[in-house]
Amino acid sequence: MRWELVGKRDLLLWLAGAVLLTLALQHLGFFDAERLGRGAANLVTFARDAVPPDLGVLPLAGRALWETVQMAFAGTLLGFLVALPLGLMGARVLAPLPLVLLARLAVAVARTVPALLWAVLFVILVGLGPLAGTLGLALYTVGYLGKLYAELFEGVDPEVVEAMRGVGASRLHLARFVLWPESANAIISQLLFMLEYNVRASSILGFAGAGGIGFYVNIYLQTLEYTRLATLLLLVLALTLAMDVFSAWVRGRYLLAGR
Amino acid sequence: MDAPWPVRARDLWFAYRGEEWVLKGVGLEAPAGAFVAIMGPSGAGKSTLLRLLAGLLRPQRGSIEVLGQPLGNGASSRPSVGYIPQQLGLVRNMSALENVLMGALGRLRGPAHYLGLFPRAEAEHARSLLETLGIGHKAREKAYQLSGGERQRVAIARALMQRPRLVLADELVSDLDLPRAAEVLSVMRRMGEAQGVTFVVNMHELPLVHEFADLAMVLREGQVAYWGPARSVTWAELEGAPT
Repeated sequence: MRWELVGKRDLLLWLAGAVLLTLALQHLGFFDAERLGRGAANLVTFARDAVPPDLGVLPLAGRALWETVQMAFAGTLLGFLVALPLGLMGARVLAPLPLVLLARLAVAVARTVPALLWAVLFVILVGLGPLAGTLGLALYTVGYLGKLYAELFEGVDPEVVEAMRGVGASRLHLARFVLWPESANAIISQLLFMLEYNVRASSILGFAGAGGIGFYVNIYLQTLEYTRLATLLLLVLALTLAMDVFSAWVRGRYLLAGR
Repeated sequence: MDAPWPVRARDLWFAYRGEEWVLKGVGLEAPAGAFVAIMGPSGAGKSTLLRLLAGLLRPQRGSIEVLGQPLGNGASSRPSVGYIPQQLGLVRNMSALENVLMGALGRLRGPAHYLGLFPRAEAEHARSLLETLGIGHKAREKAYQLSGGERQRVAIARALMQRPRLVLADELVSDLDLPRAAEVLSVMRRMGEAQGVTFVVNMHELPLVHEFADLAMVLREGQVAYWGPARSVTWAELEGAPT
């Protein structure tokens, strides 16, 4: 059988990708069989030490989990309230260029720093506890949603904007009567996605002293109390799954049905 | 003093950035209450002319007066000029009634309408426009749930909601079959006569132009090939064949 190479560039890209991946894995120790074997043995030891989970920590863990949920909700909603106007200001269809650039710079700065680092910064500014974590999540939410919303508003059909300008609509009218209704489903969908993300992120903010269940995860990890740690990890898993179910329900009930 | 011409454009030249002239010295004067049809093959400059008259584009040369005032920055937002773009420009996730109420935005003051609270008189006027256009029963349906013909009527109602003296419509009935297009144009014509509205509409169908328009302009390659009574336009003028 005779062959003909048609997609030469594709093949080269795949080969380059494979070489880069191999080099990176080798550098990171993925081909160190002894080390990987030791890891597998440690996993068995950890699993044996963590079972059965210590349910005696449930009252404490429950309170910490509730604090985590509060941080995620408050951080997401505070961030949303700032991201929405910033998204409008960052949309060229609505705002003058200097304002667009300013808004986009602000959200870019907020997005560049991960939520955990923002939380560390706020621990320095306002002290240990959930306030620092909530502010950290809010700021990261501003960066993420601000960018997504600006792009969403830019994608609104320009003819609708043109037609509404034609009836004498002001910029505020355009925001309220064109950009909002045309993007509402996507706005809420991304807000839910952000909430899911923040629920997961808020579980580790405690490592930096910024409140929530992560604080106790860190303590039990350092004191090798794996049965207690297991209880906490199971609770975080349950919370994340519950959040996924909740957002899937909201999407199905309100967003998909409204299309 | 005589009432100003609703539209008076002289020697309009326009080219999109870095491209050839789309309009080359086009002029147009539409008397009050007239129904003016702009015709011509694709690429002749019909939509560009309409967007210039709506103030959405600015000519490189020439002048435009709309309702007695020279067109400058922001003139497109003059509430007394209704503009219906080719794809209608309705807000998909709003009901037909809400879309029509958008025509009143230019005269609404205060914050109430941002919360969805519109003066009852405006809401009743919007409903009556939908009734007159035969889609009163669709007032609560979202724009994306309406058929093409129904959406066109909503766009017309929105333009009339502005209480305009001039309506500019781009290819308004081009997606409709002839009987449906005739129905829509007849309603427009009737409402226009009742309210003294001037219409400038891009159209393709000669029988409809003969029946509904007072004046017609045929554009070919950016120039006026015919300007005069609508009844006198022939296929020859449209196709550029020698008469």
